[in-house]
Amino acid sequence: MIKVDQVTKTYKLNKQQKKELQTTASSINAVNQISFECQPGRVFSLLGPNGAGKTTTLRMMSTIIKPTAGDIYIAGKSVLKDPSYVRSQIGFLTGSTNLYDRLNPSEIVAYFAKLHGMDKTTFDRRKDQLFTKLGIHEFSKKRIGQMSTGMKQKVSIARSMIHDPSVVIFDEPTSGLDVITANSIIELIRDCKSEGKTVIFSSHIMSEVDLLCDDLAIISKGDLIYSDTMDDFRSRFSGISLTEAFIDLVHRNTTQSIA
Amino acid sequence: MKTILTVFNKELIDILRDRRTLFTAIVMPALLIPVMMYGMTKLTKIIMEKEENKKLKLAVLGSPDDFLGRLDTAKIELVHGMTMETGREAILAEDLDAMIGFKDGFMEKQTELASSKVNLWYKSTNLMVKSRMTDIMDSYEADILAARIGQLNISEDAIDPIDLKHDDIAPKKEQMGKTVGGFLPYMFIIFCFTGCMYPALDLITGEKERGTIETLLTVPASRFNILMGKVMAISLVGMAAAIMGILGLVAAIKFLPDIPEDMLVVLGSMVSAKFILMLLAMLVPLCIFFAGILSALVIKAKSFKEAQSIVSPFMFLVIVPAAMAMMPGIELDWKTALVPILNIALATKEIIAGTIQNGHYIAIVVSLIVLAIVSVIFSYSQFSKEGMVLK
Repeated sequence: MIKVDQVTKTYKLNKQQKKELQTTASSINAVNQISFECQPGRVFSLLGPNGAGKTTTLRMMSTIIKPTAGDIYIAGKSVLKDPSYVRSQIGFLTGSTNLYDRLNPSEIVAYFAKLHGMDKTTFDRRKDQLFTKLGIHEFSKKRIGQMSTGMKQKVSIARSMIHDPSVVIFDEPTSGLDVITANSIIELIRDCKSEGKTVIFSSHIMSEVDLLCDDLAIISKGDLIYSDTMDDFRSRFSGISLTEAFIDLVHRNTTQSIA
Repeated sequence: MKTILTVFNKELIDILRDRRTLFTAIVMPALLIPVMMYGMTKLTKIIMEKEENKKLKLAVLGSPDDFLGRLDTAKIELVHGMTMETGREAILAEDLDAMIGFKDGFMEKQTELASSKVNLWYKSTNLMVKSRMTDIMDSYEADILAARIGQLNISEDAIDPIDLKHDDIAPKKEQMGKTVGGFLPYMFIIFCFTGCMYPALDLITGEKERGTIETLLTVPASRFNILMGKVMAISLVGMAAAIMGILGLVAAIKFLPDIPEDMLVVLGSMVSAKFILMLLAMLVPLCIFFAGILSALVIKAKSFKEAQSIVSPFMFLVIVPAAMAMMPGIELDWKTALVPILNIALATKEIIAGTIQNGHYIAIVVSLIVLAIVSVIFSYSQFSKEGMVLK
């Protein structure tokens, strides 16, 4: 389970950043007092336009960065007070993550398993399971640098899931991937759901969201502007497409903040 | 510790599969000293032989009757018809190598047993011309002197009241240590630095540029242990570079022809187990210091290009103190013993010369260990900053 509780992330701005953002403010809230919950066995989608604060939120959940205020609880533990436990419970995958070009899939997966403190027997069983499911065995000794994007993505999945996390965090996992490769991610998300894991993924592709998610939250300019179940979202915006509904919500929020 | 070793093993495999790092850390240090030693001895030999056997074009003004006949026509080509002005111009234009000008009345002065001026015009940029001309004039003067001694019926000792005998009792090892000794630590320090530089860029900035750092930071291992694993791997490559440099030196001494005999004996005695152990005890903390400081410097870079531009000026901070040790007058004392890099270079010179004081050596090793610890702590403080590790 993931519980985001009144989380704010503030960044101090240097001179150059102030110039780029055309502001005189000394700091900016990338995420502003947001709260929501993700339940086990359900897929939660975090939506928002570019720069809305999706990645910042997911990075805070993954303990890569710390919230300035508020807290996030993963599997019942605080990311601030017990980051090491939180890390042991999460699997993190982003669309932009690359792998180590000079290592092969077996070496990469073994590296992350060791860093997660897995014992050899559990690792061997889990690795065999994942490699069979994803079809990695046939290229398990090939170096990453010689692989196609699809092969790399499969290895990325194996690496993120090797320690069998109870919470999986995907940051725009299908970004820049072709439909075939993106489909492997969609299948992974479905599998995680059926295994009772808590899944959160960020996206701005509504068709993907429609296909997978049970609950959703929309953030814009760091503010949470919508949070409900997918079914409620569909019924509330019946008559217009989901993309139109998403654009409409974001646009309304932008207009309000300008006013 | 388990995490440190896991990261260390992975990074080492990664580094050893990178051809660029392998070349910089292993191949280049191993080849550089033998190639330089072979090249320098061979080149010096070739240049000296060429200059010694070169037929010099010489003009002589106001030559005494017995002078021209003394010149070896196989090595000297006489050029006639020169005046002082045309001769000087010809030397500047390199149409002439040298010109000797005897003053008017040279013979009369000699008959009177007086001294007479003789001018030698040459260009110092032309190697060996001055020394070859001086040899000719010294030989001529010696003959005149011998004739005068005969004429005056005195012994040679009468005009040589003091026979100063130079006896340098400094052992050859010490002489070499103080002279060429500065060059070797300079090489080792640079090897350590370049050996650490490429892995630091690859393991720190590379991880950030590829985007793999985010995933690495989501594992339960502590950031300090992850960084330590990386710093250890970077230091080891720096050490490997220095060790390959030492092996290259040993190979050069054993297998290269044309190395002067006395240098060979001295270099051979230098490469002892004690010398190598003492050198390594300084190079290990130095490599950790380099690894720590380089990691801290390149953490904020977003790309390899940016990291290289950050590291390049730092290289001067390494080269300058290392090169200072080669300057005469800079000796190892309690002040220089605490100047990083310079202290290693000076200590290596003293170890080679066999004149190192235990107090100085211990102070250097301790100061380097402190520096290594401080650099790792500094690196960790940078690695812990959110803004530093993320793109």
